[in-house]
Amino acid sequence: MNKPVRVVHYINQFFAGIGGEAAANAPVTVRHEVVGAARALQAALGGEAEIVGTLICGDNFFHDERERARHAVREALRSLRPDVMVAGPAFEAGRYGIACAEVCRVAAAEGVPAVTAMHPSNPGVMMHGREVMIVPTTASAAGMPQAVPPLARLALKLARREALGTADSEGYLSRGIRRVGYRPEPGYRRAIDMLLTKLNGRPYVSEIPYQAPAMVEPARPVAELRRTSVALVTTGGLVPKGNPDGQTSGNAQRYFRYSIEQLQSLRPGEWEAYHVGYFTHLVNKNPNYVLPLGYMRELEKAGVIGSVHPYAYTLPGVSTPVAQAERLGLGIASQLLEAKVGAGLLVST
Amino acid sequence: MISAIYDLALTTGANRVVRGCRIEHVCGNPDLGPDKDREYGMRIITTALQALTTEVSGPTLFDPQGASTETIHAS
Repeated sequence: MNKPVRVVHYINQFFAGIGGEAAANAPVTVRHEVVGAARALQAALGGEAEIVGTLICGDNFFHDERERARHAVREALRSLRPDVMVAGPAFEAGRYGIACAEVCRVAAAEGVPAVTAMHPSNPGVMMHGREVMIVPTTASAAGMPQAVPPLARLALKLARREALGTADSEGYLSRGIRRVGYRPEPGYRRAIDMLLTKLNGRPYVSEIPYQAPAMVEPARPVAELRRTSVALVTTGGLVPKGNPDGQTSGNAQRYFRYSIEQLQSLRPGEWEAYHVGYFTHLVNKNPNYVLPLGYMRELEKAGVIGSVHPYAYTLPGVSTPVAQAERLGLGIASQLLEAKVGAGLLVST
Repeated sequence: MISAIYDLALTTGANRVVRGCRIEHVCGNPDLGPDKDREYGMRIITTALQALTTEVSGPTLFDPQGASTETIHAS
């Protein structure tokens, strides 16, 4: 028989039985035994795994003394050398959920696979759901008996470095990762089967889950345009002629930034659209159709705007998944904010 | 955002959307001839700047061709 898997379990003061809010400032302690809620996990793990340590921390301490808490967790992992880290379940408890997700991130950075569990609306999911493996639970701790078995099952798989299936089939929340894989039936057959199922009024599951667009609160209006630096951004895939940086023609993996500081207008022959989503010949003849620098320079001279930001940002928007687009958009926005740009014109093809 | 597919931009939550001409020539129209094309392009850009200085509460269309500003309530 294999040696039992070594598990370290992170729980908060409440689930350790230390106390409620009054004990929320308790610092991280390491117990070389199975404590509180860890007993339920140990029961679900059975003889295949041994909880070699229970880490306990007050919810307030983890947030108020984040660096100390993370350091203590890191030290405990180094001395206990577990095969897997389990945190929670945190259910709907916000501070606890965030702490569980953070603990999983510390473990991952130490090379220890980790899994936690909480309610899908826990802020821990919103903050770290793309990098941390999270098993969905009910909102209240009444769901403990249902939450622990899938947590234990995943912990064993992670500890043994077994290959995992999709989030749905393994019972954790999707992290938005897409992997290339094979299916026995070709796409056209699956599509027709799905159509027939739909036409017959039977339930079916799309292979491309619908992702509702995130609604963003509108930015406040620009107060003084004549004092504002305005940036130009395009998803039209405009690059210097010859595409020197090897931009892809779709499914953008990154965005590009080009200096336009010395230019009055974008001249044909110096730029080209590298983009498989539209006929680019007109933009190649007049790049200002997707990056209207000529007009912006005129408005800059006339004092209508403060200045044109010296860098233009570009990427090919076509076939870029929403999650990827969001990541790229955040990157561009943070660079613009850093450069004290007050407004942006995004031309989308 | 300046977009020829402005209705898509509005329903996916862009808050200030300026109606562009066509996908192949968002900020202008080569069919108009150079002078009118320039005039039209400038109107698109100034409409965009006007959008930036306008308070909006949700996805709103700014149309350089019509004077009206339309508020679209995304479902």
